[in-house]
Amino acid sequence: MGLDDNGACKTVEAVRRGFEGVGYVCSPRIATTLYLAHHLQKPILVEGPAGVGKTELAKAAAAYLKKPLIRLQCYEGLDESKALYEWKYGKQLLYTQILKDKLNDLIEGTEGLADAMARVHQYDDIFFSERFLAPRPLLLALQEKEGAVLLVDEVDRSDPEFEAFLLEVLSDFQVSVPELGTIHAVSRPYVFLTSNNTREMSEALKRRCLHLYIPFPDARLEQEIIRVRAPDVPDRLSAQLVAFVQQLRELDLKKVPSVSETIDWARVIMILHAQDLDPDLIRDTLNILLKSEADIAAAEAQLTEMARKAMR
Amino acid sequence: MEHVLCDLITALRGAGVRVSPAETMDALYAASLVGFEEREVLRDALAASLAKSRTEEGIFRDVFDRFFSPDGFSPTGPGALIPAEASPAGLDAPLSRMLLSGDATGLSMAMREAADQAEINGIHFFTQKSRYTQHILRAMGLEGVNRDMMRLSREDRETSRERVEALKAQKALLVERVRDFVEQQYALYAAPAQEALMERYLQDMRLSNLEQRDYERMHRIIRKMVKLLNDTLCRRKKQARRGVLDVKKTLRENLAFQGLIFQPCWKARRIDRPDMMVLCDISRSVAAVSRFMLLFLYSLNEELARIRSFVFCSNLAEVSPIFETHGVEEALGRLQKGIGLGVDLGRTDYGQVFRDIEARWLESIGRRTTVLILGDARNNYGAAETGILRRIHQRAKRVIWLNPESPPFWGIGDSEMRRYLPFCTLARECSTVNHLERAVGLLVRNG
Repeated sequence: MGLDDNGACKTVEAVRRGFEGVGYVCSPRIATTLYLAHHLQKPILVEGPAGVGKTELAKAAAAYLKKPLIRLQCYEGLDESKALYEWKYGKQLLYTQILKDKLNDLIEGTEGLADAMARVHQYDDIFFSERFLAPRPLLLALQEKEGAVLLVDEVDRSDPEFEAFLLEVLSDFQVSVPELGTIHAVSRPYVFLTSNNTREMSEALKRRCLHLYIPFPDARLEQEIIRVRAPDVPDRLSAQLVAFVQQLRELDLKKVPSVSETIDWARVIMILHAQDLDPDLIRDTLNILLKSEADIAAAEAQLTEMARKAMR
Repeated sequence: MEHVLCDLITALRGAGVRVSPAETMDALYAASLVGFEEREVLRDALAASLAKSRTEEGIFRDVFDRFFSPDGFSPTGPGALIPAEASPAGLDAPLSRMLLSGDATGLSMAMREAADQAEINGIHFFTQKSRYTQHILRAMGLEGVNRDMMRLSREDRETSRERVEALKAQKALLVERVRDFVEQQYALYAAPAQEALMERYLQDMRLSNLEQRDYERMHRIIRKMVKLLNDTLCRRKKQARRGVLDVKKTLRENLAFQGLIFQPCWKARRIDRPDMMVLCDISRSVAAVSRFMLLFLYSLNEELARIRSFVFCSNLAEVSPIFETHGVEEALGRLQKGIGLGVDLGRTDYGQVFRDIEARWLESIGRRTTVLILGDARNNYGAAETGILRRIHQRAKRVIWLNPESPPFWGIGDSEMRRYLPFCTLARECSTVNHLERAVGLLVRNG
């Protein structure tokens, strides 16, 4: 892998600093897993609540490794033809039409049907060559010469059949196209699978991956994330923001605010040129953190109290 | 270090984390990459390769902490009477020297080595604890210490007497620590194994013979079972490629190719999640079993979308709302006592139950509905009302009867089971968890 050249994955600490350089703050757990994934050449299965930066992790990895990010969004009904490859039927059809006119020239001078068929057989493979193959994300990632970062997003939404099909790709980095044979990876891609845990993934899939659960960050880490993602927020304000959001997550809400929403909120408050949090400001901007009417009402009931604690 | 990690993995497996050999190799490689210097990094690295879900990660952390816990030897013991390097006369056994010099690391190493010799990871029963303790102490050389103490006490000198006292105190401490250590190892290796044994045993035990203290364990088993069933349910959502061509879809898809059929589309059959109506007997004759029936019903309610639950004794009452609004303990308590449900806990009357169904709920039984009856069909010689069951059978997709009594008892005494039998699509004995599991498997497979 190209990485060892510049020593970017030498130590866990180097990984952590490298990711911070591209705007992703890792907890030690994340950094260790990334480091291992590089050395064990294994895919990472990332789980965690929505909005903790699962997809962002793959993007940051692509930016850090300076490799293209190839993304495969999973959904119910996703199949091989959309994930792996498809034959260009139209083109094949067009070429058949052209060949029809040339067919007479081709079998000219043959004797008998068997001879003519033998002649035609010499050419039949051309319709199933790479020229007529439209690669989809998985195949693209394998064909990338310099290696790539492959993100299989929300793999829990795909059907179990697709999950089983992924196994070959993930363990051996190869795929089988019946007409062409087995295609091996030119250079092993880095693979991230993300899951929102809507269903349990199969044992076989888990076994082939390193597992990484990303929880909501603690206050210190979240402050660090704000420092990196919204650099112009003063330290004192970001401490208050984080303290407030952390309290919100303790409440019994339908959907607790995610990290990305904290960052959005920090940016909004900077746009409003506020220097300090105050209950009115929070009340006006609460809809950035909470996205449902019931949640907002629940939070407003305790808003003054929480704001006071956060300001301390 | 390899066998230490393998021991950790053994402990993990015992605690219910499935670790495959491939993952073991990953873990070994990961450990060699990050090294053993930093505890946190090692733990994270091992967690990434061994624990594959959030719950497993919790278990892993727990086992890791217990496995690599300090063993209680304090570096400067109270009896640091002599400097570590000195080898004063009278102390022949290396263990007594370590004890008196307060060499915590040495003691700890010696203990773990001795534990390895005694093959502590084979500990399975609490009766083995003292045997292992003795084994370890002997392997550490406690006899040497005893000999030293004997000899020193024979010498009539002030220093010797002091040393004997100190050794005595240290020896007592050591025994204490080894005992703690064995206790710890027992928790690590044996408790999970015993738990698994107990679960297997409970699965085959008759529900009516279970005791109060096993209830919680049963809850867990049943929940696990329903969870498993739900997983299989999810998996069979779509049964595609049955070999039947979907003509309409094929034509539509292939319009682009001038109607030439490049890409045939097959009919896919979605398997419906079962639409169920469950009737559960809560009378005294089945009191011992009904708790589990209800528990099972509760778990089903959590997992299935379309299910209506009823309990009956002298009459029938719908209880679906209770399952939705209350936690498992409270719901079960209320249902068993029949408080505020409108169910009369007199003599069991299947006839009345069926009349209730006919009067109020027969309409809601359609051709997709599976009617599941959990009860012993002991009707106290009342009217059986088989005619209504026949009508239910005709309307519903299936009628399944799970009876806690075994078939030879069906139809004996006041049991009406033989008369109900012709109108059941399926009737099974259901007196152990395994029976329940098989019955649900049937529900799901043909659902």
